[in-house]
Amino acid sequence: MAVLPIRIFPDPALKEKAAPAEGVTAEVAAFIDDLLDTMRNSPGGVGIAAPQVGTPLRIVIVDVSEHRRGSRERNHGLLILLNPEILAMGGKEIVREGCMSVPDYTANVQRAQWVLVDAISRDGERKIIESTGFEAVAIQHEMDHLDGVLFLDRVVSVKTDLFRRKKYR
Amino acid sequence: MGQFALSVVGRDRPGIVAEVSRVLFELGCNIQDSTCTILSGQFAMILVISNPKYSAAAEIDTCFDTLRKNMGLTVSLHALKDEEISREKGFEGRPHILSVYGADRPGIVYSVARELARLQVNVTDLNTQVVGAGDLPVYVMLLEVDIPAGVDVKELEREFDKIRKELSVSITVRPIESLEL
Repeated sequence: MAVLPIRIFPDPALKEKAAPAEGVTAEVAAFIDDLLDTMRNSPGGVGIAAPQVGTPLRIVIVDVSEHRRGSRERNHGLLILLNPEILAMGGKEIVREGCMSVPDYTANVQRAQWVLVDAISRDGERKIIESTGFEAVAIQHEMDHLDGVLFLDRVVSVKTDLFRRKKYR
Repeated sequence: MGQFALSVVGRDRPGIVAEVSRVLFELGCNIQDSTCTILSGQFAMILVISNPKYSAAAEIDTCFDTLRKNMGLTVSLHALKDEEISREKGFEGRPHILSVYGADRPGIVYSVARELARLQVNVTDLNTQVVGAGDLPVYVMLLEVDIPAGVDVKELEREFDKIRKELSVSITVRPIESLEL
């Protein structure tokens, strides 16, 4: 059990493309435990991706079951996803996101409202997961980290100008 | 090091940000925080800037004269004391968004703001606009507020009910649910 240091932007590790995890070896299993400890150690943290601790592997963890809104929606509890791929996505949702790797900043980001994800579980089994709402948003945010994409790359509005935007469309 | 609050207002057109930032760059100023928007065709900039050499507004104020003369911008500058600057939020509270809208009439902003102030709810962002057809103007106000721990949203809603009736406006209060990832 160990809490790993979080890489903070402009750390170059956050802009790299991560490599596939080659199976759940003892080493990978131990790393997943540490990654989970690190996520749980962050107040309000509902997700983490391996590159956020400087490990360039395609592993993400999401758990929205303790989140105020996430807990009220359908969710899978703790999700540990290796080599996740989005098979399909749909709908639109704007959510205010923050990121441990970009402290003191939140912004409105547009995400798909539901996703269908193909991933390897912690047991090494291939799984198809359908997710909606906050959990789906968290999965997309964490999967972006695997490709070196930060939520700042996806900000849709610099302020809460929903009425204003309508006028110009 | 000196820190300053700078505001720039003028008829909107391309090039204002470029000219203002050129003057700041040439002065060696660092733009710390800024927000800029268009209000009824006026481009309005508010910036907090710092400069390693100068600490009094009078030392650099004349550098903005070209903006005033050549671009017709209204520029004002004043020095900030260190203790006035903070990156921390001064008040704690749960973030909420308020949408207020209805037929335009005097007192909408004041009625809402007065209740918020009475309950020590801190306004962190506010924008208002008159929209709708010319003969039926609709006033739209969007606020982000932090509701302190001791204040119940239901209490706020009860107060808003009075305003809803009195001014015939719609008011919705929603928590801002953010995801920390």
